[in-house]
Amino acid sequence: MTRSRIVILIALVALTAAIAWSARPAPETNAQRVDRITSELRCVVCQGLSVKDSPAESARQMYAIVRQRVAEGRSDDQIRDEFRANYGDWVVLAPPVASWSGLLWLAPFAALAVGLALAWAWMRSRAAPLPEAPAAEVAKLRERVAREEALDLPADAT
Amino acid sequence: MTRPWARALRIGVVIAMAALVTVLILAFRRDPHDIRTGTVGKPAAAFSVQRLDGAGSLQLEDTRGKVTVVNFFASWCIPCKEENPALVRVYERYRSSNVVFIGVLYQDSRESGLQYVRDNGVTWPTGSDDDGRVAFAYGVFGIPETYFIGADGVIAGRHIGPIDETTLVTAIDELRAQVKR
Repeated sequence: MTRSRIVILIALVALTAAIAWSARPAPETNAQRVDRITSELRCVVCQGLSVKDSPAESARQMYAIVRQRVAEGRSDDQIRDEFRANYGDWVVLAPPVASWSGLLWLAPFAALAVGLALAWAWMRSRAAPLPEAPAAEVAKLRERVAREEALDLPADAT
Repeated sequence: MTRPWARALRIGVVIAMAALVTVLILAFRRDPHDIRTGTVGKPAAAFSVQRLDGAGSLQLEDTRGKVTVVNFFASWCIPCKEENPALVRVYERYRSSNVVFIGVLYQDSRESGLQYVRDNGVTWPTGSDDDGRVAFAYGVFGIPETYFIGADGVIAGRHIGPIDETTLVTAIDELRAQVKR
């Protein structure tokens, strides 16, 4: 390997390392944590709004509670668990998977499975070959057609 | 002739629909005023609030061993005014017994709250939940909301919305009967 290639290789490695270093996630500040946690909690007096997005007084109070809990050094799970203990799983905008409301996560997959089963059943019914007539019946019909052809009668005349 | 898988699929769809209808029927039968999730069945959170009459603080701890009714209200809350006569009557009925009423003012100024209790004949102890921490600890959705705490300190039930006399008396008598047992 020539010297120039080594230099280029080192430069590339250094460049990659620099990009990776600059793109690393910055440590989350307490304010960002409060915003993230409150955006995952439901405002209890609103329709479909998070605590972070709601201007309601109770949401503002809940926001302050989360800010205090974060300042106290509580973990995300501890804060979420406190809200769930007081208001049930409903208060979390994305219901936890390991709970009754977590069954909601399965609903799209269940709906997809039912839809696929119905589509498959419909396609099978369309593609199913017609049942074969019994051989004796076929032979009898052939014999009749031959007889009628011999007499040169219309097929529907009996 | 019906194929076995088609039959199974039809039965499956019928079972799924029956299950859905059953769930809906059970959900509609539930009393929307009686939400069982959250704090019901758990020990009532201790709290201390400033009394509206300025006579110090009001603490839940002081009611331990007694049947306690905690009512969240505000002066701006129209349904609170609607339920207030029932609360007054039931409070008078039990005031000499081992039943305690506590009013917690929610999202309101103390001045307005004090005016409200004077105007509406509220004579049981009332305190102000200035920062909403008590309401949060009890899982209050909106007012009026009433909690029934047994002598053991556990929240036995809650009522969301304006409460009537019968519901109050029934809940209190059930808890008093538990104390006697």
